[in-house]
Amino acid sequence: MVFAHGFGCDQNMWRFVAPEFEKDFKTVLFDHVGAGGSDLSAYDRRKYSTLSGYAEDLIEIGRELGLNDAVFVGHSVSAMIGVLASLRAPGMFGQLILVGPSPRYIDDTDYAGGFSEQQIGELLEFLEENHMGWSAAMAPSIMGNPDRPELGEELTNSFCRTDPEIAKAFARVTFTSDNRNDLPKVSVPTLILQCKEDIIASTEVGEFVHRQIRGSKIVILDATGHCPNLSAPEEVVSAIEGFV
Amino acid sequence: MVNKTLCTWTGYSPAYFAGKRLHEFLNMAGRIYYETHIAPLLRMQGFFNEFALDFVTESGERLPVLANAAEQRVAEGAVLSTRFVVIRAIDRRRYERELLDARSTATESLKSELETAELREQFIAVLGHDLRNPLAAISAGASILQRSDSLRDNELRVVDMIKTAVTRMSDLIDNVLDFARGRLGGGIALNRDANLPLEPVLEQVIDELRTSSPGRIIQTDIIIRERVNCDRMRIGQLVSNLIGNALTHGASDKPVRVGATTKGGMFELWVANEGDPIPEAAMEKLFEPFFRGDIRDSRQGLGLGLHIASQIAQAHGGKIAVTSTPAATRFVFTMPMHV
Repeated sequence: MVFAHGFGCDQNMWRFVAPEFEKDFKTVLFDHVGAGGSDLSAYDRRKYSTLSGYAEDLIEIGRELGLNDAVFVGHSVSAMIGVLASLRAPGMFGQLILVGPSPRYIDDTDYAGGFSEQQIGELLEFLEENHMGWSAAMAPSIMGNPDRPELGEELTNSFCRTDPEIAKAFARVTFTSDNRNDLPKVSVPTLILQCKEDIIASTEVGEFVHRQIRGSKIVILDATGHCPNLSAPEEVVSAIEGFV
Repeated sequence: MVNKTLCTWTGYSPAYFAGKRLHEFLNMAGRIYYETHIAPLLRMQGFFNEFALDFVTESGERLPVLANAAEQRVAEGAVLSTRFVVIRAIDRRRYERELLDARSTATESLKSELETAELREQFIAVLGHDLRNPLAAISAGASILQRSDSLRDNELRVVDMIKTAVTRMSDLIDNVLDFARGRLGGGIALNRDANLPLEPVLEQVIDELRTSSPGRIIQTDIIIRERVNCDRMRIGQLVSNLIGNALTHGASDKPVRVGATTKGGMFELWVANEGDPIPEAAMEKLFEPFFRGDIRDSRQGLGLGLHIASQIAQAHGGKIAVTSTPAATRFVFTMPMHV
């Protein structure tokens, strides 16, 4: 069972969910390039200018581990990354579980993604005004100090570490993406977990994904917000258990 | 639950806040940021500090703030409540935005400057390279004329002058090419050899300078007993540049003195001349490219000689020191003999 985190965080966001499946599955967790403990030098602006670049990484992991018929659990933008990977590497994933998915965030004629182009522009500008975690240059000098262990505790946000520059680029790629046309091509059993009140991926968008993927199931969770894997992990775990 | 201060800032009554969620008071960017960053971190570590948010007031205006957030949990981890401390930060956030904008402008300017600089240096390299061919043709032609039987003495002297001028132009072009290539490639490239003797190369360089400066005396005291791990051609170039500098700026009726030794694992070479000392103001800029100082006669170079000499010194892990008094001006080059 492969878990892929979404924008804004790293693999730690699965800490309440993934352990529940370790008995029955070999669980795989990873950080996208730019997040958590990933190798920042592997970041290539061109490769990661579309979600396909991230899908390639996922496929590379799958090939390295010899995955066949595996379960994919993707949150937020990683739901789409998983969809793309499953299309490009048929057979690697036998089931897709999409948590809070959205194939496109900007409104279009006859499609309510939830945001206007201007709002996304404001978001990208706003992201600059928060430090978004320690840059790779600073973190080692702060974290690697055996003489001063208290510094390690003082370092806040040791979860969801992101490189600020990469995070900004990832935000742009995520929120300007459009993968609506890829949804009808999905041919493996798919479960959509949709939160009741999610401003980032609304129930309308969740229903759209449900309609576009033939044979998919959708479960509306009682949880609100965009990260049910953190705010209501038991609900997420039981919904997944009911599917796999 | 909110305090009076937040009500005053946002223009909403306490009753209005009751039952609503925090994100209803943020603009869209803030809501997204809340869902993707603030909420997850609160869940995972129980707190998140020093983040920026934009509230939207009752009249629809943006209220920039800085905030800290902490969860109050029961022992088993369930959340009792979340507390936000909000500081109004209109000026602070504006200041930060101005810094971000200035940095962005500076980065753009720098990129453009670097592109221009690289183009300029490529142009210099190409020009220098292209000038060599016609120069070689002139030199070859002059050599042919020199061998002719039918030229009179004064005509042969003219051919000599042509050859001297060609040598000078060739040196100028070499300096320019070194400079441009050094800048593009980040320093002077060396071809070190620890096994070849250095003295013969230095003697030859000094002889050539004697030939091209008739009437000037160059005294030498060169004793190099060990092999120096260096690029002989480049050291020759360094010596040539230092002596050339001494000939140009030193007293024309006094000798230029050159010495070299090896001791204590270091190779030391010095060039001294008499004449007016280097002005205080010029001392700081001596090794900068294109710095020429005041030159009395018409033999003007490009001002690259000392700069390239210092680059060669640096490339060998050494340095050039200069002292200048009314008694003498002295350039001393030192470098470790073995790498």
